[in-house]
Amino acid sequence: MVPPRWFANRADPAATSSSCHGRHGDPGCIGRASSATQALRAAVLPVFIRHLLAPHALRVIAAPAHPLRGFRATRHAHTLHCFTGMATANAHSPPSSHATLSTARVAIEAAFHDEGHGYDVFGLHPPTLGRMLALGAPLYDRYFRVSSEGIAHVPTHGPTILVANHAGALPVDAAMLCFDVLRRTEPPRIPRAIADHFVPRVPVVGTWLSRCGVVPGTRRNVARLLERGELIAIWPEGTTGPAKRFRDRYRLQAWRVGFAELAIRYQAQIVPVSILGAEESWPLAARLGVRWYGAPYLPIPAWPVPLPVHYRIEYGAAIDLRCLAEQADDPAIVAAAAARVHAVLSRQLDDMRFARRGIFR
Amino acid sequence: MRVMVTGASAPLGAAIVQRLLAEPGVEHVVAVSRAAAPRIHRRLFHRTADLTHPRAVHDLVHDAATAYGVDTVIHAAQHRDPHEVGVPVHTQNVESARWLVLACAAQATIRRFVHRSFADVYAHRDTTSALIDEDAPLELAPGAPQWLRDRVEADLTVSARPTGRLQIAVLRLAELVARDTGSQLWDYLSSRICLRPIGFDPIINVLALDDAAAAFVAAARSSATGAFNIRGADTLPLSRAIVQSGRAELPVPGPWLAPLYRLRHAVAGFEFRYDLNLERFHFGGMLDGERAARELGYRPSTRVVWPRPWWRVLLQRLAETRS
Repeated sequence: MVPPRWFANRADPAATSSSCHGRHGDPGCIGRASSATQALRAAVLPVFIRHLLAPHALRVIAAPAHPLRGFRATRHAHTLHCFTGMATANAHSPPSSHATLSTARVAIEAAFHDEGHGYDVFGLHPPTLGRMLALGAPLYDRYFRVSSEGIAHVPTHGPTILVANHAGALPVDAAMLCFDVLRRTEPPRIPRAIADHFVPRVPVVGTWLSRCGVVPGTRRNVARLLERGELIAIWPEGTTGPAKRFRDRYRLQAWRVGFAELAIRYQAQIVPVSILGAEESWPLAARLGVRWYGAPYLPIPAWPVPLPVHYRIEYGAAIDLRCLAEQADDPAIVAAAAARVHAVLSRQLDDMRFARRGIFR
Repeated sequence: MRVMVTGASAPLGAAIVQRLLAEPGVEHVVAVSRAAAPRIHRRLFHRTADLTHPRAVHDLVHDAATAYGVDTVIHAAQHRDPHEVGVPVHTQNVESARWLVLACAAQATIRRFVHRSFADVYAHRDTTSALIDEDAPLELAPGAPQWLRDRVEADLTVSARPTGRLQIAVLRLAELVARDTGSQLWDYLSSRICLRPIGFDPIINVLALDDAAAAFVAAARSSATGAFNIRGADTLPLSRAIVQSGRAELPVPGPWLAPLYRLRHAVAGFEFRYDLNLERFHFGGMLDGERAARELGYRPSTRVVWPRPWWRVLLQRLAETRS
């Protein structure tokens, strides 16, 4: 049986580059495809999705959209090896590049505290996280076309707190941030998103999020993560951030200060992260006062699905509060540290907002 | 070290006695149980006593102190049936602990008292941390079942006692998965089909009998006082525990579980009570064993032996024999 041309292209880097050169006659062209190729892709896409959803494939395919077609071909050749059992995922990991994290790398390389059965005390299960990464890759790559800058500011080890702005009817911005950190840090660091107290109460969602690394936001949980030197992501606005009016978009709301105290106490670095796009992508139309599962309100989005707004993420320079280590109990010091992060993030947001040319571009 | 162990006929008490006898620093062990038992070791002495009577408790402690020179008391006796309620159960779980600790405080030779408590004393709610340390809130809800209230009261009765000459350590054990220990999880996993609340798969931590015994011996040796969480070496989702036990799981809506398990108890006589485990089966909650590791030197090392069906055990043994 002759494999589909689309699949063959990805299985053989040489074939890929030669066919591309043949079509366009431009050795530098690596990204364009003819309409025939697009049609072929549409025909085989369901097959590819089936392959993607196969449990074995999920461990090795992340298929990030990358302009370097040869690189993608390498990844698919690698996938074929895995299907035939010729190589392990880790043995043929592609060279380091941005947006290259495969699910296998999450499962194998990302450091986490395994308690003996493949789970940590908070329920994180890297293979599940890897599957989610594979399934969400089209959203990250194609739909929201997430671009980010400054990942080098995220330390490769040690206790770190990512402090970000929060918006949108549902926390798509949080998911995109976690995706971005996972895919761009080298070696991969699993961001532990800190969620509100009601999240574990929500059936299915609470369990699923905990497998993906989300941790309920209690002081003890966060302290333990920092003690272990993990990377955590906090949205100090809490639920007030997504609940704000559209006219207040990108204005940081009331700011909780607990993260600053914990950062001082556990000598963690704070990386301010500004996320642009969530406000316009899926704004909140209304809040129903239904407190299901302890949630403060039931969000009613302005439209049923988020708009394909271009998400932009910027990591600011790390703020080091280690010099305040002895003053973690001083409320004034803690409030000042939190205010400093607030000011930095506000400025970062304003700069990004003024610099962008349009919400979809 | 001369140690007296209550509840010595139960699996945990027996494991503690065995472990103590293996310790070189233990001169002799006085094993207390309701029924007489044969003397199997030259350093082991048996005493029979009914701990539900204050006079018996007083006499037991007095004799142990004067005749055997006991300096450490490990109180591991507990009522095991969660379906029994009433004054006798309360007396065995709470009053016996009170009488025992008071009698020990009155004896000059006894310097250490180690009390068995349970992870159930903590309030497992969605607002509590996934990791439960010794300062976490206790289950003091007025509507809590007697089984829980007794455990909390006994824990507080012993741990709230001011530390003087008698050093008191309270060990709050994670769920002990072993036969005849009163383990709710063992009973739950012993049925062919385990019902689980739909949409929830909490992370649980379970303790092996050997680790529990090791924790008691470590506490007896140490001079640290206060409450200590004793966690086990197995941390896994409930669904995984069901798989490990070779059982089938059936997710059903949460509100159905309590009546279904009540019906099961009435028909088949299972001990598992869903109302005792409701919060835990939704939100999990794991003991933070840092303090026990730091002050008692206890770290879990033994994996739990899951309650597998007999044919699976047989297959496993055959496979082991072949290999």
